[in-house]
Amino acid sequence: MTLISKRYEVEDVLAAQEFYHSRQWTDGLPVVPPTPEAVQACLDWVMMPADHLIGIEPVRERAITAEKLAVNAIMAGCLPMHFPVVVAAVTAMLEEPFLVHGATASTGGCAVMVVINGPIRHELGLDGTFNALGSSDRGTTVIGRAIRLILGNLLDVRPGQIDRSTLGHPGKLSYCIAEDEENAPWPSLAEDRGIPKEASAVTVMAALAPRQFMNEWTTEPKEILDTYCAEIKANLRHYSIYPGNYAIVVPPQLRTHFQNAGWSRRDIQEYVFENARIYRREWADVGKANVVGKRGDQEYPALPDPEHLLIIAAGGPAGGFGAVIAPWLGHKSRAVTIAIGACLDCEPPAN
Amino acid sequence: MIGEKIGKPAVSIMTTKFVSAAELMARVLGADGYPFVVIDHPISSASGETLDDWARTAAGQSVDLLIGANR
Repeated sequence: MTLISKRYEVEDVLAAQEFYHSRQWTDGLPVVPPTPEAVQACLDWVMMPADHLIGIEPVRERAITAEKLAVNAIMAGCLPMHFPVVVAAVTAMLEEPFLVHGATASTGGCAVMVVINGPIRHELGLDGTFNALGSSDRGTTVIGRAIRLILGNLLDVRPGQIDRSTLGHPGKLSYCIAEDEENAPWPSLAEDRGIPKEASAVTVMAALAPRQFMNEWTTEPKEILDTYCAEIKANLRHYSIYPGNYAIVVPPQLRTHFQNAGWSRRDIQEYVFENARIYRREWADVGKANVVGKRGDQEYPALPDPEHLLIIAAGGPAGGFGAVIAPWLGHKSRAVTIAIGACLDCEPPAN
Repeated sequence: MIGEKIGKPAVSIMTTKFVSAAELMARVLGADGYPFVVIDHPISSASGETLDDWARTAAGQSVDLLIGANR
């Protein structure tokens, strides 16, 4: 299968930059020109023909092929070895519960956050420690950026076009985290969501910007989680009262306290489920009295159930800094986790 | 447009701030120039009285689109 993308000839790499910028094909940063050889190398790496159908965006009814993903992945700076993660992330985004059109078109301003688990983190040199939420390494940076370019160039999710975000947030440029599994006292996020430990996986979430906090003054798990819950409750008051997937990022210094106290993922999920909730009347405290109505005494939990809390182990070795990552408008979009380069629920091939 | 695809007469209503988005979506879905009703923006902080006015206007324009010469 030959590549079908239209080819352009430009004078040099600088001319290529201006060419791409002039057509709104970039995010404002320089791009790597997606030569046919580079695109083919990505396809070879994942053993997919150029016309391999990754999925169909349902609202636009637009087919997304491996070739088009590869073009944008190269532009973002990906090497072929990064491409399987990009393919998996987009596959997950095209699953119905993610609601990709709504999440990327909304005024609500979320970005697609990608969390990577499994052995592929080591193969790609991904780092979930220092500066974990701020482009900690080459791989997470370019994978996250590839998602943004794919949305823009394949689905017109550009500011003022399909992307109607009032504010957006800096994570839209690249929002990708590798979980620090080795230093975590509990199974990985992907394992918690049904992926075998031996497999690599991505989780995608329509996510707001991280809300960072600090609590270094306790070793008591409940008190640490009370700080997380306070941030979640602030989001329920200020942004959206509806329940959905919340992610919490737990750095090593705080993880130690959970480990010493014997707290499991499930214990944390249960505590947050029980304690991160507000009454609708609390909206009156933050200038939203007009929409309290007659339901002031109705209680709104942040999570529909404990499993909706995504616990991510990440962060540098020192510091009691944690983060809450709230969902785009509650339950409209749900986080999706899939294996990279594997199908865990496919029928075996017929002999 | 989804309603029309399944054979149900339908009309879309946009606020002024979403006109360009609606035009783009119509274009990419192969229905360039698809007509729709436009009301003021924003609706979330509009008074009940204002919303009633906008709704009456939108209802009238919707009927025109559904049975009028544009269709």
